[in-house]
Amino acid sequence: MAELDTVIHAPARLRVVSTLAALPRDDEIVFPRLQQLLDMTAGNLSTHVRKLEDAGYVRVVKGHAGRKPVTYLALTTEGRRAFEDYTTTLTALLKGTGS
Amino acid sequence: MTSPEHDDDAPGRPPLDPAESLRLIEESQQRARAATEPDGRLLYLVWGVAWLVGYLVLWTSTRSNGSAPDGIAFAVFFALLAVAMTITIVHSVVRGAGTRGPGTRAGTMYGWSWCLAFVTYPFIIGGIADAGASDEVIGLVANALACVIVGLMYLAGGTFFCDNRLYVLGLWILLTGGIATVAGMPATYLVMALAGGGGFLVMCGIEVVLVARRRRRGRVPGATAAVGPGADDG
Repeated sequence: MAELDTVIHAPARLRVVSTLAALPRDDEIVFPRLQQLLDMTAGNLSTHVRKLEDAGYVRVVKGHAGRKPVTYLALTTEGRRAFEDYTTTLTALLKGTGS
Repeated sequence: MTSPEHDDDAPGRPPLDPAESLRLIEESQQRARAATEPDGRLLYLVWGVAWLVGYLVLWTSTRSNGSAPDGIAFAVFFALLAVAMTITIVHSVVRGAGTRGPGTRAGTMYGWSWCLAFVTYPFIIGGIADAGASDEVIGLVANALACVIVGLMYLAGGTFFCDNRLYVLGLWILLTGGIATVAGMPATYLVMALAGGGGFLVMCGIEVVLVARRRRRGRVPGATAAVGPGADDG
């Protein structure tokens, strides 16, 4: 049976990746907006983003809006592919258990 | 590096069930799209009401006046359009806030295209009025031009955003423009109200049904709906 990607297969990171995958390809979202969409604490989100960044799935871009530092997040091509593979495996698993 | 309470992979946590995973994906993606994409239900509703009521007012006024609507009727009409425009702009800006990239840029450019088209609009109407066009010609051209702009913008939007319903609405509004011109005065305003405004309201109704259906489907555990990027039927 196919294995699910352990980087994605955890509730918080699955929600982060799913949310980023719902944005148009290559679009970035500011950290507080993502935090609001996911209803997660900043610390919790940072922790999971770091793991996803280490795996090469999420790109973190630091910038400035006026004087304020802004952090933009986006799914990398690798991350999007990993998410597609994950959903494919998931669907296969569900079909397997359902029949 | 990571504290245990932040770690989903901490020992003792039960493994994530595939059906639960699928539910989390659908829920997250629905929430993300609902929060970052404009809500068709709201926008179709405000434009449907603005066209339906606004053009009905112009029609009623023209019927009692003879050749053209009076100043009060135009004031009501433009006030309704101004309200619809304000709601559309504020709503779109709020939904697009906090994102950047090619998708966001395409949305912004699309929004600006609407603005630029309707900035040139009064110059064209003013120009033909100055050239000596009658009230009847001005009224017919004003309606036709509005429908051509709106119809073509929806066709373009439907094409770029792969939105079939938007494309069909574009065709419908173009058709409305044609019929409204052939209908002549004062029936042109009635066509704009019923076919144009009615068209937006029908779209609003379709969106309401689709959103309700999507929500219901999202609540079914392990629903076998399409998942993943691009699995957007909205």
